[in-house]
Amino acid sequence: MSMKPQAGGNRKPGGSNSGAAAASGTGGAGGGVGRQNMGRGRNNAKGPSTAVAFNGVYANMRMVHVLTSVVGTKCELKVKNGLVYEGVFKTYGPECDIVLDAAHRKSVEPNAGPRREDIVESIIFKSSDVVVVHFKDVDLNYAKKVSSDADNFTDSAVSARVNGEHKEKDLEPWDGGEQHISGSMESLDTDLSNGWDPDEMFKYNEETYGIKSTYDSSLSSYTVPLERDNSEEFLKREARASQLAEEIEASATYKARVALENDDRSEEEKYTAVVRGERELHSLNRENKYIPPSQRNREAGMSWGAGRQVSPRMVQCSPGPPAPRSGPHDYNTMDQRVVNGGAHPWPSRCPSPSSRPPSRYQSGPTNSLPPRAATPTRPPSRPPSRPSRPLSHPSAHGTSGPLSNMPKRLSSEGPPRMSPKSQRTPRPHRVASCRGGGPPPSDYMSQGASVEVSAPPPTRNSPSGGTWSSVVSGAHRPRSPRQNSIGGGAPSPSCLSSPQAGTVPVDSVTASTTATSPTAANPATNLEASPIEEAKESRVLETRQNSPNANKENVKPIEASAGNARSIGKGSPSMASDHRKQIDNLKKFSAAFRLQPSSNPDPGFETMATKPLRDLGEKPKDQAAEKSSVDSSGLKASTESSISEETSSPVSVTSAGSKSGTPSLSPSSAVPEQKRGPDVTSQGVQTTSPLANAVTKDKDEKEDKNDPVAESVRKSTLNPNAKEFNPRVFCSPPKPATTPTLTRPQGQPSPSIVVQQPPAVYGQTMFQMYPLTPVSPGVQKSIIWKPPAMYHVQVPHMTMSQTKSYRSGKVQNMPQQRPDQHHPPGTSTMMHSATPAGPPIVAPNPAYSAQYFTCSPQQFASQPLVQQMPHYQSQTTECHVHNWSNSIQYLLGECSFGHVFNKVIIKASFDRLQVKRC
Amino acid sequence: MAAPGPGEYFNVGSHVSCLTCLGQRLQGEVVAFDYPSKMLTLKCARPAVNPNLSDVMLVNLAYVSEVDIITDRAETPPPLASLNFNKLVNRARAEKEDKLSLAYAVSAGVSVEGQQLFQTIHKTIKECKWQEKNIIVMDDVVISPPYQVDNCKGKEGSALSHVRKIVEKHFRDVEGQISVQHSQQAQHTQDSTLSS
Repeated sequence: MSMKPQAGGNRKPGGSNSGAAAASGTGGAGGGVGRQNMGRGRNNAKGPSTAVAFNGVYANMRMVHVLTSVVGTKCELKVKNGLVYEGVFKTYGPECDIVLDAAHRKSVEPNAGPRREDIVESIIFKSSDVVVVHFKDVDLNYAKKVSSDADNFTDSAVSARVNGEHKEKDLEPWDGGEQHISGSMESLDTDLSNGWDPDEMFKYNEETYGIKSTYDSSLSSYTVPLERDNSEEFLKREARASQLAEEIEASATYKARVALENDDRSEEEKYTAVVRGERELHSLNRENKYIPPSQRNREAGMSWGAGRQVSPRMVQCSPGPPAPRSGPHDYNTMDQRVVNGGAHPWPSRCPSPSSRPPSRYQSGPTNSLPPRAATPTRPPSRPPSRPSRPLSHPSAHGTSGPLSNMPKRLSSEGPPRMSPKSQRTPRPHRVASCRGGGPPPSDYMSQGASVEVSAPPPTRNSPSGGTWSSVVSGAHRPRSPRQNSIGGGAPSPSCLSSPQAGTVPVDSVTASTTATSPTAANPATNLEASPIEEAKESRVLETRQNSPNANKENVKPIEASAGNARSIGKGSPSMASDHRKQIDNLKKFSAAFRLQPSSNPDPGFETMATKPLRDLGEKPKDQAAEKSSVDSSGLKASTESSISEETSSPVSVTSAGSKSGTPSLSPSSAVPEQKRGPDVTSQGVQTTSPLANAVTKDKDEKEDKNDPVAESVRKSTLNPNAKEFNPRVFCSPPKPATTPTLTRPQGQPSPSIVVQQPPAVYGQTMFQMYPLTPVSPGVQKSIIWKPPAMYHVQVPHMTMSQTKSYRSGKVQNMPQQRPDQHHPPGTSTMMHSATPAGPPIVAPNPAYSAQYFTCSPQQFASQPLVQQMPHYQSQTTECHVHNWSNSIQYLLGECSFGHVFNKVIIKASFDRLQVKRC
Repeated sequence: MAAPGPGEYFNVGSHVSCLTCLGQRLQGEVVAFDYPSKMLTLKCARPAVNPNLSDVMLVNLAYVSEVDIITDRAETPPPLASLNFNKLVNRARAEKEDKLSLAYAVSAGVSVEGQQLFQTIHKTIKECKWQEKNIIVMDDVVISPPYQVDNCKGKEGSALSHVRKIVEKHFRDVEGQISVQHSQQAQHTQDSTLSS
């Protein structure tokens, strides 16, 4: 400090010095330390480096504090000899030696300032020489630290300023004062208006400042007004939008998030308050808090549902038709649980299916079945979508339909393989569809058949769709409906069949499933078998995994298979009769299903229909109408008498139902179709079921199944239970996957299968997603099914959706199924696998594939899903496309995991498509 | 704290009066008392001048007699606030520089009136300094001897007019005080009045 200079410049005031100087020096240093510590009390504070224990004055906290507070002020220091020195108080020592800077001896002369030569740099006064030091007009609070501005006005801060005695200020009551207009104060409390009204402000500004606001309440500068019209399309979209809004708003996630924003509870209540209620409160809190996925299972399906599609299913299921949905719901719940258990429902599902399929294949159907049972929900949901598509298309189309589906699927699944064909085919399809005339007829027929097939599925689809829709609930529903409609019927049967075949859990179901499974199985088995055989085991496994999806699809397909059966029936009158039988069986089954599920068959159908209705309902109607028209032209014409028989009655019913929106009709038709499907499908299903049991053995079994068709049909009635099988169906899907590959290039199949595997895994998740899309198509189809032409168109749509789904998901499976269906025409899956059937199938497939491909290529190649959607829309129905886009978007938007998977799947599908293109 | 003997211990907040060996009567509130060093710190509030300002006296009881405790206070004194030591150091340096600059001015022959005026202005406007015999205020206004209002020159503006007001008031006050007595007290009172 300034001690050293001081020593040099010391003027000895009273007595001593050098010693004092030294002392002061140390003291100064110490003083510094002391000051710093002062505030906190010398007890705590010690000079950092200085070991100087507080001694002397430094030990006196208050003395240190007050002296430090006046550092830097001018003071007059009187020494014992009477002299007065004036200077700036610099510091003090432990012995209370005083150091003054710029000190001078005050002259007697009053106002004369010190001369330059009178001033001493600094002077150290020994305390023994000091009589009194007078600090004039000092602000003791000058150096008081203010930790924060806020501290200035705390009681402690205010009181701290007053050192020593002080009087409490007399508090004066404040009367508002006369200036305040009475009421002005109250107005603040009573005025509920939230500030100025905008119009008021505009008006004021305009009047006062002449400023004219350019504000446009329509915000035309920022957005485009919604053009409302009464067009069907608009109404459809609006209905869908409202539906989606409802679904979203009904989701637990949405509610939870809204609750977060609109939580009236105070922060203290939410986070700080000690809650004694424990669990109750916990539960309450959970609603508004983020729940880790791992803990959501506990919360019940809702959390999942909200968070993911699964939950939606749950929710939807509950609302939806009791019976069908109940089954699905149960399954869904199961699935969800399983999924939940897995952590991520969707992902898990996807993976599980794939994984399961392999296991199934490896271990065998039975083993797989149990898992499936757990997974059943998955299968249903998935199967519906995929199966529905595949089955429906395959079954409905019979050879051509399936083929078309297959191609699409293949294209979607195995774009690379199919891509060329698919691309090529798509064009033809389009053309055919567009033309809807003669050439197409066969295809259309097939398509029509497929449509019919799809139609049957609708009923089941509706249930399945319900599941799907429920699953998809949010975004997927739209798709789901289609899927449901398409794959719905077939899937359930196929699923059932496959499951039954695999596990044979439910007798009735098993029977039905077997019956149904045969159909599905046929294609699937054929596909699978062929692929499997052809494909490597690993591939087979993969395919199997895919097959699970396929199985699921098959389950839906079952109906589809029924449809296939119809198609087959169409193809062959006998088939038609079989279809009728199957239909009857299916009806029985459906009834049984309904009963089993809890709801009456009719309700179930209704529910199914209703479920679809949401998703499908609108679409179905519209589509149905469109389809009906188209179908009527194309299908009817194209559709053979056989189809006409089966389809005509059922189809008409279905169409009527779909159109009318009466679930019962559609269900019935669906049922018949399913039944029919079972016949046709029964063979396939059987094969499939065997496949489920022993994937590799599927072929043989398929053949066997073919024989059991009647049994399968019977079993098909049981199919309702078969829904459980759906999981198995999923397992079967692998077959389809293989089949698709088989249908086209066998060599490719394996690759495709391989590719599929990942997709399959994704596919499960994807399936749900896709299923939705497919479902929607399916729904439409279901309604539309009757008219072949419509179907064709729809089929493309369906295929599109399916293909997308398939592509994204396990599209291959679907294609496989379709091929299988195609095969059915050929007679056996083996045939399909064998290429012989394949060629014809392939041929049709190409067309479908072409359509699908076209769609897919466009979508994929040109743009993301959205674009694809447009394509679909353009080609098929906007609804479908929208559904797709919506579902996709929804999926992307909502399910985190699911999204990822979906994205991945989608990407995969895109890649495939692209690859195909390439 | 060292155990204070009877009559030797002063509670903080007590009012004490004493008579120094130099015959000066001191009275104030006890702020601090250090028994070993016999040093007593008193605070004399000067509400008339400025409620925030007070006189502080460090008294060496060794040279004091007639210590009377006017009012005693046993209550626990309020806690001490921490101090911003840097602020104190800066103040010490600034004060020292000011004094030296003043001394320099005085050495240069600045009249007492000038010195007084400078101190007055400095109380209001910190930004003022001596330049030879001229007082520079805010680098804009120059007040040259004899430091009258007319001597305030600079760019016309609020600063100049403000300084002129201060100077005018200063001399008016000084006149009044001088009439009473020519002493430091007078000066002091001037300052105080000005400040107030």
